Amino acid sequence: MPLWARLLALFALLYLFLVAIEVMSGAFKFMGSDQAKSLFEGVANPFAGLAVGILSTVLVQSSSVSTATIVALVGSGELSVSYAVPMIMGANIGTTVTNTMVSLAHVRQSQEFRRAFAAATMHDFFNVLAVGVMLPLELATGFLSKTATAISDTLVERSIDVGDAGSYTSPIKIAVKAVSGEVKHVLKDVLGLDGTFGAVVMLALGLGLIFVSLTFITKIMRVVIAGKAEQALNAMLARSGLLAMAMGVGITVAVQSSSITTSLLVPLCASGVLSARNAFPVMLGANIGTTITALLASVATGSAGLTIALVHVLFNVVGVLLVYPIPSVRAVPVKLARSLAKRCAINPVWAFGYVGVVFVLMPLLGIVLFR
Amino acid sequence: MFDWFKKLGSRSDGTQEMRRSFEQMLEDGRHIFDAATNALLGGTDPVVIRDDLWATDKRINHNERQIRRMLMTHAVSYGMSELPFCLSLMSLVKDAERIGDYGKNIFDLAALDLKVLDDSRSDLVALKDTISKLLVRARNVYDNQRENEARSFLAESDALQSLCDKRTNALLLRTEGGGRLAATALTYRYFKRVVAHAMNIITAVVLPLDQLDYYDEDASGRGITPEED
Repeated sequence: MPLWARLLALFALLYLFLVAIEVMSGAFKFMGSDQAKSLFEGVANPFAGLAVGILSTVLVQSSSVSTATIVALVGSGELSVSYAVPMIMGANIGTTVTNTMVSLAHVRQSQEFRRAFAAATMHDFFNVLAVGVMLPLELATGFLSKTATAISDTLVERSIDVGDAGSYTSPIKIAVKAVSGEVKHVLKDVLGLDGTFGAVVMLALGLGLIFVSLTFITKIMRVVIAGKAEQALNAMLARSGLLAMAMGVGITVAVQSSSITTSLLVPLCASGVLSARNAFPVMLGANIGTTITALLASVATGSAGLTIALVHVLFNVVGVLLVYPIPSVRAVPVKLARSLAKRCAINPVWAFGYVGVVFVLMPLLGIVLFR
Repeated sequence: MFDWFKKLGSRSDGTQEMRRSFEQMLEDGRHIFDAATNALLGGTDPVVIRDDLWATDKRINHNERQIRRMLMTHAVSYGMSELPFCLSLMSLVKDAERIGDYGKNIFDLAALDLKVLDDSRSDLVALKDTISKLLVRARNVYDNQRENEARSFLAESDALQSLCDKRTNALLLRTEGGGRLAATALTYRYFKRVVAHAMNIITAVVLPLDQLDYYDEDASGRGITPEED
């Protein structure tokens, strides 16, 4: 496929993605306020919200899908920002399961597996530690949601100032709403689907479209940027630090998937070509880069959607600022991961147990106990 | 204005850099071979060239490791479609590295102050010139990837290998000559190995991955000519 066709397809898929977000938001409005509210009562407890965030991301194997869904929910007004914050944090933890599973493919070669598993799980440890520090802080002070609200209010005010006398609506939003309105019209008036069933069909359609659009965006961009990614990875082999982090952000923004970026690193670490220490900043960069999806999704929603997307950005940026500047703190996730990987290389059952407990059992228990 | 668009479309991956490093390895291998044979056959003082040879060998080893690393990043960036290229280059860099190693073996003979037999000297000097030109050609043939050039290269190299074998076997049957006889036989043997590794590299132009290094054998091990594959 020529490059111009790929770029054209990319823009079409981005539009489809925004339509999908709007369709999903519309589904919750379609459902009716009472039903939607009862659906999300379960996540009123932040630990249940965190568990839902982890488990839903593990199930869809993509934090981009889960965070975009959360943005759509918040944008529809049916899920509050405060309920959504722990879910966003959970999505950050859940997304690391993909590269941890990629590392399990090396299980037959002990030394290779040790390096691969350490590279994969340092991402887990970083996210778990970041949530461990920031969730209690957020619950006590609301620093993430308050800051995000302030930024989104400023941004929305500015966009109104730029527009026409306070009545400005983004042309993207208009284009997106038109299609989602048609979808609702077809479901309700043409097919006669109403009430909860109609809403569920619309919800499934929205989720399906998010999946399809993100999957193809990732596929197209992976091909388009393969050469650049290779150059970046080659440059990174000899370097560490902020440049590597910037590369992690860049690759992830381009492919719209942190899992793709981190999964590129795991085989490099497994082969010993890249050290875990040098891969770590790239993973942090991937964490920041992946927030672009929620920001994109917020284009199709209102200020609340933008607020939760900004929470995602702030959470990851603050996480990096807390961990990265001090070398001894920066070393903690890497050391923990190496120590776990050492044990798992001796007995791989530990590795499978770790994945089962952290990504399935604990979130399930969290939902059962705290909802 | 659309420079960024053109850049995005251009294939600016690591293959060009790997190719450059590989060609540098071939060039360095030839340099070691030339310098070492000059020390053994031409009277260059081994002490004078030792540091240069060691530095060149170090560069060969560095390039080999560099290419291996870059092959890994290339493989993870492009996936399965680039696997044959990666596996093939992985094998070829080893051959390029071995050319330098055999050059060093020749240098070791010179460093021990061993001399070749007088009646073999002119033959070895002529062979050295042929092999040195062959190594320059190997680089061009690999670079151009033209099948007919590769096949002719393989045929000529095969004849050179046979000649080296013939000379070595004849020397092994002689009884007089002592250390000089051993040094001459070893030199022919090392010459043959240098040619063999250059041939292995060129097999990549005409043969599939699993047949690399075995251009004169079919799957059952029977001898075939390159044209028959």
